[in-house]
Amino acid sequence: MSDDKISPASAPAPAAPQKHRDPLALIVRFQSLIGLVLVAIGGIIFSPRRHGEILFLNPDNIANIVRAVSETGIIAIGMTFVIITAGIDLSVGAVLGLSSVVTASMMISGGFGLIPTILAVLALGIVFGAIQGTISTRFRLEPFIVTLAGLQAARGLALVVSGNQYINISYGDGPGLAPPVFAVLGERLFNNTVPVATLVFVVFAAVATIVLNTTRFGRYVFAVGGNERAARISGVPVSMVKIAVYAITGFAAALAGIVHAGQFNFGSANDGMGYELTAIAAVVIGGTSLFGGAGSMVGTVAGTIMLGALANILQLNNITPAMQLLATAAIIVLAAVLQSLVRRREGLGR
Amino acid sequence: MTAPLLVMTGAVKRFGGVQALRGVDFDLKAGEIHALLGENGAGKSTLMNLLSGVYTPDEGTIEIDGKPVRFNNPREAQAAGIATIFQELDLVPSLDVAANLFLGRELMRPGGFLDVPAMRREAKKRLEAIEIAIDPAAMVADLSIGQRQVVAIVKALSYASRVLIMDEPTAALTVGEVERLFDIMRKLAATGVGIVYISHRLEEVPGIADRVTVMRDGRVAGITEPHAPQAELVRLLVGRPLDELYPARIKAAGKPLLSLKNASFKLARDSAGWQAPQGVSVDVHEGEIVGLAGIMGAGRTELLSALYGTGLSGRWEGEVAISGKPVKLDSISAARHAGIAFVTDDRRGSGLMLRMAVGLNLVMSVISRISPNWLVSPHRQAEAVKESFGQFDIRPKNPDIAVGALSGGNQQKVVLAKEILGNPRLLLLDEPTRGVDVGAKGEIYARLRALAAQGLGILVASSEMPELIGLCDRIVVLRQGRNVAEFMGGVDEHTVLAAANGREA
Repeated sequence: MSDDKISPASAPAPAAPQKHRDPLALIVRFQSLIGLVLVAIGGIIFSPRRHGEILFLNPDNIANIVRAVSETGIIAIGMTFVIITAGIDLSVGAVLGLSSVVTASMMISGGFGLIPTILAVLALGIVFGAIQGTISTRFRLEPFIVTLAGLQAARGLALVVSGNQYINISYGDGPGLAPPVFAVLGERLFNNTVPVATLVFVVFAAVATIVLNTTRFGRYVFAVGGNERAARISGVPVSMVKIAVYAITGFAAALAGIVHAGQFNFGSANDGMGYELTAIAAVVIGGTSLFGGAGSMVGTVAGTIMLGALANILQLNNITPAMQLLATAAIIVLAAVLQSLVRRREGLGR
Repeated sequence: MTAPLLVMTGAVKRFGGVQALRGVDFDLKAGEIHALLGENGAGKSTLMNLLSGVYTPDEGTIEIDGKPVRFNNPREAQAAGIATIFQELDLVPSLDVAANLFLGRELMRPGGFLDVPAMRREAKKRLEAIEIAIDPAAMVADLSIGQRQVVAIVKALSYASRVLIMDEPTAALTVGEVERLFDIMRKLAATGVGIVYISHRLEEVPGIADRVTVMRDGRVAGITEPHAPQAELVRLLVGRPLDELYPARIKAAGKPLLSLKNASFKLARDSAGWQAPQGVSVDVHEGEIVGLAGIMGAGRTELLSALYGTGLSGRWEGEVAISGKPVKLDSISAARHAGIAFVTDDRRGSGLMLRMAVGLNLVMSVISRISPNWLVSPHRQAEAVKESFGQFDIRPKNPDIAVGALSGGNQQKVVLAKEILGNPRLLLLDEPTRGVDVGAKGEIYARLRALAAQGLGILVASSEMPELIGLCDRIVVLRQGRNVAEFMGGVDEHTVLAAANGREA
């Protein structure tokens, strides 16, 4: 459910005083925040120590966690809009790859400046997403299929643009070099504490939270996912809203692609492989329903960071990536089971 | 009388903070048809779900033949002999009758192959046992609702044969089908099956039930004879005597609002089964409630959805005017722009966002009004919600709970309140009280009349003849997409039915 609070209409309920919410519903509402806290506590307990210092809490380590999740986080923010409309966007990882390739090649071989490059790449993402949204609404196709095709198309385009080569980004003035300021994406600000990539993620998340919870458009997004036919009858411009949410995921993927290129100083057609699934996982752990109509941005942010923190603590303990995958799987299932339990308690079916 | 077959004592069931059953005693004898009445939200469905193992009671006991039982799932209830036929029949439309009857328990030949002929023979035998002629090889999708109901009964009885629970089995049936269903129920009861018959059609009770339990607010309000006077049943149902279901007509008809003259809706593509309006002439004046009558498929729903642009795509030909000005009604936005609002007959499918809060649903049609500058104003939203709660007595009086958790009557009030918030000039209503209990019906009728008195024009399609006759100022009868007759409100039912069926009265 959205975070909007409606003040009680008139007199309070006559008979029984309004009982407090089902505790299970409260847990689910804040499941990703609770999960984040639990993972953090687990992190502290199980963290390796050096000279008595808890490595998990080391500022560098924390900066690493939030930096590592910033790209999938940006994508998950966009994905939250799509999933609230009961849609899905599988193309985002590929669009990230396409965007990082285009970013690198525009600056390096194209000789474009920083601002034109960024604007062009963001526009590319928006257009790519809007096309997918348009195809899906115009021909009434499942977004799953349309964005699966979009995934292939974006990877294909990225291969064409890059010629299946890594495009290295070197910095300097003059042709064939990227403006040095672009490298800031891989750095940290504020006394070398806050990664710039994280800052982009946080600002994007903040804007998205405001858009989702306080604007007319945000309300439309919930309406379309809540019941598309009812929304249409109520005068909601359903097709426009759907096209817009895919444009948003496209934008988010392009933004993440730019950040990716800036962090790693190259663009490759294989960038962002599988990011769509990590992002979807973060959204679901964050309490957004795949059935649409319910979800929260804060949940998505917490879900994203929780997955990152979990991976980090397992890495610190030298636990294999295989185990990390299994742990992630368990958490996704747990989050889904909790939501399903609440739906049943509310008597709203499975 | 024999000892009860099934006894439920002190059943309590809570959902979150809501207490759906507050200590209910219920019993059923072998060979008895026991009607269970109650308004929406009275706890009938919860009671049924406890008996059929969908839910387990928080408190209380269930006994069968004097032995306590506890069902953790529907399978255990079936094993104990309890079969349930839900409103949404659990049949697979794309399979044939025999395949449905044996779903999950298919008869096999050696080697793991389906023994289709054996299943069809057995299915035929079972159908004939209750003297019903349905081809076991027919697709369920091709059967009428009444025939599907029979298939569902036969299927349920093949699982479990002592207690049959039927949830509003007559809701979608025609008069003839209801009679046939009652015949089957009587035959089954004669063989010793105990039947719990859930309904809110009071008038059916004397014809079929041996005993009546009325529920209200999660409790048993009373147990009576089926031949108790209707007024007594109503008093038990709503907890107070209900004087007049329909409000007095007020002469308020003003200037012409909607006028259709020889108007036809030309479909962009041919569509079988969609009875497009053809040469319809209908007027609705300000302050007037006009009813659309007609048999199934006469084009009532289609006329409304063509006016509102929710039906198949196409365009209007002939004269379509609002307040004397010709309008092009070809889309929802055009209709809304013309001041038309529409309330669907399918509130769960296309009326409400079930999992979203009541308040959010209410403001759905006025989102732009509550979000000047594109930002939703919490103040305006609260005002709008308050206005709706002032219009209708929506229970519980809490805009924050999911609308799907409300009873049918309250959900319908939310759908109506939502559209009325948009201050329409013309309100199109399709089956405005389908699945709504008597108390809520009375409130909805009163509210509609009050709105009409303020100048709202209302065009209402309904398959409930008493509703049209009681509520409307005028009734237009449609047949095959055309208007064939028109009557003043209060006309007798047979006259309207005759016109709808194309016979002389």
